[in-house]
Amino acid sequence: MMGPTPFAWSESETLGQHLDRRGVTRREFISWCTDLCVVLGVGSAFTPEMVRALQQVRRPSVVWLQLQECTGCVESVLRTSDPTIGDLLLDLVSMDYQHTLMAGAGDAVEAAKATAMEENFGQYLLIVTGSVPLEDDGIYLTIGGRTGLDVLGEAAEGAAAIIAVGACAHWGSVQAARPNPTGAVGIDRIIRDRPVVNIAGCPPIGDVITATVVHYLTFGAMPALDGQGRPLFAYGARIHDQCPRRANFDAGQYVQKFDDEGARKAWCLYEVGCKGPACFSPCPIFQWNSHTDWPIGAGHPCIGCTERNFWDTMTPFYERLPNVVGFGVERSADVIGAALALGAAAGVGAHAIATGIQRSRARDGDPGAVVLPVVSTPPEKNLESDREESDG
Amino acid sequence: MSVHTEVPSLSRGLPVAYKRVRLWQWPLRIMHWIVVLSVAALIVTGFYIGTPYFMSEGQAADHFVMARMRFTHFVAAGVLVATAIVRVYWLFAGNKFERWDALLPHTRADWKNLWLILKKYMFIEPAKAPHYLGHNPIQEISYTTMYAVAVVQILTGFYMYSLSNPGGLLFNAFGWVGIVVGGAQVARLLHHVLTWTWLIFIPIHLYLTLRADVVHQESRISSMIGGGRYVRADLDFVDD
Repeated sequence: MMGPTPFAWSESETLGQHLDRRGVTRREFISWCTDLCVVLGVGSAFTPEMVRALQQVRRPSVVWLQLQECTGCVESVLRTSDPTIGDLLLDLVSMDYQHTLMAGAGDAVEAAKATAMEENFGQYLLIVTGSVPLEDDGIYLTIGGRTGLDVLGEAAEGAAAIIAVGACAHWGSVQAARPNPTGAVGIDRIIRDRPVVNIAGCPPIGDVITATVVHYLTFGAMPALDGQGRPLFAYGARIHDQCPRRANFDAGQYVQKFDDEGARKAWCLYEVGCKGPACFSPCPIFQWNSHTDWPIGAGHPCIGCTERNFWDTMTPFYERLPNVVGFGVERSADVIGAALALGAAAGVGAHAIATGIQRSRARDGDPGAVVLPVVSTPPEKNLESDREESDG
Repeated sequence: MSVHTEVPSLSRGLPVAYKRVRLWQWPLRIMHWIVVLSVAALIVTGFYIGTPYFMSEGQAADHFVMARMRFTHFVAAGVLVATAIVRVYWLFAGNKFERWDALLPHTRADWKNLWLILKKYMFIEPAKAPHYLGHNPIQEISYTTMYAVAVVQILTGFYMYSLSNPGGLLFNAFGWVGIVVGGAQVARLLHHVLTWTWLIFIPIHLYLTLRADVVHQESRISSMIGGGRYVRADLDFVDD
């Protein structure tokens, strides 16, 4: 990404000129643009326009902030065995500031960041991974002696667009799980005055990041977003509705344990806690690690990592339903419900027996018996006299 | 509303006056039994959807078990919602036993009677408990609670159903439910747990209705079929 390269994209050349110099053929470039048009959902007919627009693109400036996070998102983007043009593009994009990848450290790079943000004020793309802790004045994250809130606020001021990459930047991820001791929140809780694009996932798929950046470079605008700020082209459908194991779900064929026959036959993972029915992500289509595989393809249930609060609501990962908070971890919803229903049935039975006992005592003339009132028959006496008469 | 009938033959020499009281009009009765059928279907299919309790063997293409269960569940849900809509209308168009003001106890006397009826069920001074033609306060509270449970289940159910087509009509109508409850899994849990309230309610409802008929001879069950009850004219009813 920020590694030294003999083919640096100089500020004077366009992307088209640069790719030529780099040895990317026009055929490769056009076929990649066609793929991206499909990924973005604009249709392959749009390819000529995308080719034209991308060829003219000048080197954009990118500031990548890493806040409260584990660096996994950067790793996810980097770990590619077979670099595509998309990876190349991310390589080429001028990372003016990126903790993990830049060679320098300390005051020098902080100064470089300040310079880049000043020179490109209002034009640079801000990519953020990691959440912002708000508890105790944000002391749980400091960079160069400043809190994450401060650093983010400053960087956001001059950004042309903001992309929050990963579950941490989206809503806080594991550090925001109950009880959230550092008060971690997502980027869109801090930046309120403009849209933040959320590339959801823990980590997200690198292709989604690439496609979003390309959309921005091509159209000068961010792609259409859903209610959580996630690009619709990627997060517009549930895993469950794109799953290659859906046929087994509909047929009623489920893996019961991870080593059973159903697991070997690649049946549906619904009963071992798959969160595909609650999770919006392009995993089944885009897949991971250079399109090698994805969790469900490898026989593991989806954990729902593109959804907010998934550490709290999608756990236990191998159960269908979340645990009931306040009733203890071991007692799940069904145990409580079944106990109450059985209790009701038992209570009803006991009450019926008690009623029967009271009635038989009353019939036997027990003076201590409770007499249960009757609404629709005449007084007992009349019935008895009636019977006597007919007997006689 | 009520018709007085003399039945001298049963109590020769000591005539007891009866009256037939019309309680439930035919739309309400039909709604009740439609709800019985749809809730039964929803519970049976719902528990399969929650935890598939049998499996199919062989090729996936040869079976359609879960899909049929879900189809039945959704159709039954549609029937329930349609009935709920008519019931809301009937809260305003029905008679005094069916109207909205019979949903909850609202007078001081009702709350006092609630206590007396609770005591009756605990075998304490049952003769002192007041008689109601329609719903007594305990019935009002419990049936209205089940209405509320149904509403929450309908909302969470349609929210989950809408997830298959984000941006669609149902998603736009019910997407807010996910935000309010805190995500699809929480909606799923609520929907699932609330089903148990039906399984708690149904045996108690069946028992108390049956008991009212067997012990107190209140002809409650037949009133939901024929619409009316025969009661002694010499008794006082709170809601007569």
